[in-house]
Parts: sequence; C-alpha cells; structure tokens
Amino acid sequence: MSDSTISFQERMATAEFRVHHDAHIVVDGKVCADCSTRECVVACPASLFVPTSDGGIVFNYEQCFECGTCYIVCNREGAISWHYPEGGHGVVFRRT
Amino acid sequence: MSIVACLKWVSHPGEPHDERFSGMSPADQSALEFALRQAEQLGRDVTAITVGPSGADKVLRDALACGATHAIRIDAPTTAAGADVATAIASHIAGAEWVWCGDYSLDRGAGSVPAFIAAHLLAEQALGVIAAELHDGSVHATRRLDGGRRELLEVHAPAVVSVEGATARLRRAGLHSLRTANNASIDVVPATTPMHRAEFMVRPYRPRARELAAPPGDSPLDRLRVLTDAATSSAARGEKVTLAPADAAERIMRALRDWGYLTP
Amino acid sequence: MSQPDVDVVVVGGGPAGSCAAIVAARAGLSVVLLERGPFPGSKNMYGGVVYPRILDELIPNWWEEAPIQRWVTRRSTMMLTDTQALTVDFRSEAWGKPPYNGATAFRPDWDHWLAGYAEAAGAQLLTDTTVVGLIRDAKGAVVGVRTDRPDGDLTARVVIACDGVNSFLAKEAGLYEHADAKHFTLGVKETLSLPKEVIDERFAVRDRHGVDIEILGGTGKVNGGGFLYTGLDTLAVGVVLKLPKLAAQQQRPEQLVAGLKAHPAIAPLVQGAELKEYSAHLIPEAGLTMMPKMTTSGMLVAGDAAALCLAAGIWLEGVNFAMASGMYAGEAAVEAVHAGDVSENGLRGYQRRLSDTFVLKDHRKLRRAPELVLSDRVQHLYPGMIANVAERMFHVDNPHPKPGVRRILAQERKKAGVRRRDLLRDGWTGFRSFG
Repeated sequence: MSDSTISFQERMATAEFRVHHDAHIVVDGKVCADCSTRECVVACPASLFVPTSDGGIVFNYEQCFECGTCYIVCNREGAISWHYPEGGHGVVFRRT
Repeated sequence: MSIVACLKWVSHPGEPHDERFSGMSPADQSALEFALRQAEQLGRDVTAITVGPSGADKVLRDALACGATHAIRIDAPTTAAGADVATAIASHIAGAEWVWCGDYSLDRGAGSVPAFIAAHLLAEQALGVIAAELHDGSVHATRRLDGGRRELLEVHAPAVVSVEGATARLRRAGLHSLRTANNASIDVVPATTPMHRAEFMVRPYRPRARELAAPPGDSPLDRLRVLTDAATSSAARGEKVTLAPADAAERIMRALRDWGYLTP
Repeated sequence: MSQPDVDVVVVGGGPAGSCAAIVAARAGLSVVLLERGPFPGSKNMYGGVVYPRILDELIPNWWEEAPIQRWVTRRSTMMLTDTQALTVDFRSEAWGKPPYNGATAFRPDWDHWLAGYAEAAGAQLLTDTTVVGLIRDAKGAVVGVRTDRPDGDLTARVVIACDGVNSFLAKEAGLYEHADAKHFTLGVKETLSLPKEVIDERFAVRDRHGVDIEILGGTGKVNGGGFLYTGLDTLAVGVVLKLPKLAAQQQRPEQLVAGLKAHPAIAPLVQGAELKEYSAHLIPEAGLTMMPKMTTSGMLVAGDAAALCLAAGIWLEGVNFAMASGMYAGEAAVEAVHAGDVSENGLRGYQRRLSDTFVLKDHRKLRRAPELVLSDRVQHLYPGMIANVAERMFHVDNPHPKPGVRRILAQERKKAGVRRRDLLRDGWTGFRSFG
C-alpha cells in the first residue's frame, strides 16, 4: 500500500469502526430525488453516499468518520438527519 | 454465589499492548448477559469474577454497571495458563450453581477454562454454544457440529455454559449505575493456587502426515474419485453408532487415531 | 430546585473538556466528564501539531510526560503551483529544548493523556456515553444533560459543552445561528509509516526533532491548503478543503490528497511510505465570523464547539485554544458555583477571560485572515505569480542581463491577471492581520 493506487476499500480498512446495529445517518430519498448537485456524494470523505442509476442515493453509515460534512454541505433542508452513534460505537482513531 | 460470570480482560487483537483498546470480549459480554437474565428469572445475584492484574478491574466495573452485584479479581498476571486460571476460579466459586463463560478468549484462547472449571466443580457442561434458552432449573443449549449439524443439550445446575459472541447482546449500563460502579469496591484476592505461564503453540496445528495405500481403481480418474470422496453423499461417509459414553469416547479416539489426528 | 447530581458536567473528553474538568475538580467541585468514544481522543483528529504553552499553568513541566511524537524545530511554509514550489524555511534549536514550543502528537494519545489529569484531579470520566440533549428548567436555564444510556439524565449546576465542531448542545441552546457550509473546511489526512531513520534523513532532523510544513496551493481548484508533519516513524500528510468549493468542483477529498502527494516537491518526501490510517474531521474555519454566543444560563461552550480554532494560513492552531477556553470555562464555573449564581450573569467571568487573553485577542486580530487565505486570489492567482517572480529572479538567462525585480513583478502581475487595486487591498488586509 505504498502508493495512491490502493482501492478505496483498502483505504477505509485502515480505520477502525465499531459498527452499531442502528444507523445514525438517515437520508430521506424523497427530498434527494430531484437534487442535481449532490454535494454529499462528492464531499463525504468516507464516500458513504452512492448515487444509483434510477436517480436515488444509497447511503451507508458503517464506516462513518462522524465528521458532519454531509449534513452541513447539503443544500436540502431535511434530506440528511444525522446524529452521533450510540456511545462506544463508530470510528475509533489511533494515529490521528 | 449461585450465578457466576467468568470474564477475561483481553486486549484488542490489533493493539495487543494498548490498554485503551482492552476490555471484555464479545463472547464474555454474551456470557454476562445470560447470567444477568438468568439471575432476573431466578431472583438471584450475579458474581463477576476475573483472573488478572489491576487493569482487569475494568471488565468487573463494566459488569457491575450492567447489574452484577459482586466482583472478585484474583490477582495474577495475564499470562497464566488456562488450567491454573480455572483452578483459581473454581476455588473461589465453590457451590456455584450456574457458571457462564465466553467460549474462548480473544487473545490466545483455546476454550479450555470453562471445561476445567466444570471438572473442578463436578458440574454439567455445555461448551461453545451458539444459542441458549433459559428455563426453570435448566438451560437448553445448542452446539455447532460438523457438517451443519446441531447438538441440543439440556444441562441442570450445577453447570458451566460457555457461549459464543453475539449469542446475546449485553445490555447497556445505566448512567447512574455506571457512576456507582466506577467507585464500587472490588474484592481483590491473591491467587492461592499455582499460576504457571501459559505455553502455547505459535504455529497452526497440522495433523502429522501418514502413509496411505494407493486407492483402488483402474484409471487415474477412478482413483481420484475414491481419494477425494467426491461422489459419495456426506451422510454415507458418516457412521451412526449407539454406545455407552465410555465406549463412544473410545470409538471417537480410535477414529481420530485412524485418521491421523492422534498419535497411536 | 432539588440538589443536582454534580456541580459540573463537562461534555466531551477532548482538550477543552479535560482542561475544564481539571480546573473544576481541583477547585473541589464534583465533576463528571462525559466522552462518547471508548476513550478520550478516540473520536478526534487534527492536522498534527499542538502548542501546549498554556498547559504551564495546569501541568508544570508537562513536556516530561506528554505523549508527543516530535518537537517541531523546523517550520516551513510552502507555496505550490503545478510545477513550482517556493518555501520559507525556519529552524530553531531553542524549540527542541525545554520549555519547547510546538510538537507533533496523535490526538488519541494526547487527549487520553490529558483526561488522565482530570481523573487524577477527582473528575469522574464516563466513556462510551453520548450526550443527546440538554435538560432545561421552566425558565430555559440549562440544568443538566440527557445521555443515551438508560436512566441517563444527569443534572448539574453548570454544563460545559466541549462537544466539538458539530456542537449539538450549543445549537440546541440556540447559541449558534444556522450552520453555514462556507464557515467550515474539511480536513482529510493520511498517516503514513516510514522508518525513523528515513524521516530523519529526508527532513534533515535528528532525535526527537521534527518538521511542520504548511502548504498553500496544492489542492487544485478547491480552495484550501495542505500540510505535512513528521511523527516519530510516521508522516501526516493531508489537505484542508473549503466545503462549498469541494462540492462544486466535483473532486473527491482522497484524490486531492493523492494529488498533493504526487506533487514534485512532496512526492520525494513521502515516497515508499505505507498508509497506516486514513481519517477526516471538520474544522470551524471562519473564526470570529461564525463564533456563537458562548454563555447561557447554566452553560458554557468551549473549544471547537465555540469555533475557537485559528485557521490563518501561517498559523493553524486549535488545541491550544481548546485547552485555554476549557480552562477559563472551568474557572468561570468554579466562580459561579462558589458564588451560588450560575445564571448567564454569574458565568460572565468566562467571556471576560476569553476577551482578556489570546483566545479572543488572536481571533480579533486575525479576523480577516481566514477569508483572505481562502480567497480565490490568494488560492489561485498569487502562488503562481510569486513563484514566477522567484523563477525569473533566479533563472540565469545569459546573454540577457538580469531584469529588475520591480519590472518582473509588474509583468507577472499582469500575466496572472491580478489587478493592482486588489493586490494592494489584499496586501493591506494581510499586513493588518499578520503585521
């Protein structure tokens, strides 16, 4: 893994995530449906938001850095609801 | 001391020397949860016990916060051998009716401690179970066997049950019980039984090689089929026998010797 | 009101929270320090340099025990274009000796270490506990917090919210206006591993001495900056990106880090290094412009939660502001509890301390700096212009004689499309901020 050719999956595997069974990110697909700018897809450093071919957005919450970029960068009121995962869960940094 | 949860303070496999990443394994968390549920059902208390250095108090405090009523730490290094750990625990929980353990510890576990404890307490055992149902006076446990089979056990007190991780999700400690547990006293007792350093294998276990006669068959393909057992159904490969326990044990030993897993 | 559970509850075990807890607990108050991660620091990430001078007051000789990676004895400010690099490089042996200046450190180490002092002072640290909201009395005064644990309400005379850049508590208390994306930058970093000897050689340092490189340019069309810091046997390389620009330019954060690492001035420094950890965090970049009201009845806000992060180009500081504001919040809480008045008025000692010290003085002085540094001209025009001036000054073009610097400057300004008026105005803003 000595250059930039590593896959995004490998990149994310370098961080530890203690995944909780409940999602702490919820995306309201109805609000996103007619969003063309899709800031979350570009800006999320963990690439948790993935556009689908039918114009929707699939979101993951498991490998979230809990930074808050997605809901701050989003232009649509109510599209992304976001809170911290339950105590003890989520990302655990080591050498940051 | 009728219900006991045996908990081990283990390090994170990725950070073996860092206490920030240490704690209770998922299997031990399940064991504690079963102990707490059973205690509620039977109206008893739960004693959490561990063998380890002072850092191990962390798992006991977690157990107290979740509802355990007593906590005992037998002071010993983390490197103690499984048999010695079991002896030490058994000497402190004489008279226990139900003992719950994780199936094996994350760091170097072979799952032997629960079995040794059962032997010391002359208790029934259900080890490495993947599901447990609590009944009045008994526990119905499910064990995983080879080939997708399951073994269903019914054990009665006194019994030792060791459970896999994720068999039960440990309840979340209440905020105020967490605060109390942080200041609760823990019985620290010296290890009065011997503690040897665990000697463990650092390479994967591999059965020794053995000589095999060439399989019957005229063509290489026939011989290959016999050798790989490819066409026979798995049911036909097995052998169903009904034997007294001692004879059954002898039969299993013989099979293991025949297959080369044990030295004759 | 019935007796509260504790005198002070501090939300968040980062540098602000731990310092607040240390001060309050040492003054004899009962203190609970709540941390949502499994240990303090486990949720925290930053560029990589801490300036702990303010700790002299709380932990004398802190440098003897602090879990640092290297002492920064060499500071470089680098300006990059696609093919050029202009570096101002400074080193001082004094920074490698007590009482030191800055150090590279990992936040999971640093914050965990600092929280240990809060516990030693008598504060009760409760980890794995997320605060989900405030408890308020009929008049709206904050009287405690609600956690996500069963039986999870905790009442207190004073709540000190050190809950980080997203501060849901400050927002719930109505202290922030609507969060605006243009006030935030996203920090993305790679922690890379390299043998210590290789780092020593590449960065020309020895022992525990290390290097801090701040980079302007290098983030393509996305306004922001880069950094490269030396750990003991790791490098931290990353970018800081203005959120709206990042979204608009359709460029992924990790690609921008890769771009920086591939720059001819950076690539030889990071060559062969293996990725150990990828991480990201938001930065409250806008300073004074975005700062919330920091006091309300029963509650104080400190650290990133109060946007106390200084992002002024050559100065990138946050942990020191967090530690100081936490400390002052702790002092104000002690004052208020002793006086029996935890109303907004009773807690006014906090704002006074912030105003009287570097915490707000630096921010006032540098209030225009963040916007200037992230402006399109500073980001996209000046680096190329300045690098071209340097290139022409040092390029030997015999038999042509050397041109005068003034002429080069004028020509390059025109070539870059920079209006004289804008240049003068930016220069004046920069002079007033930094001068």
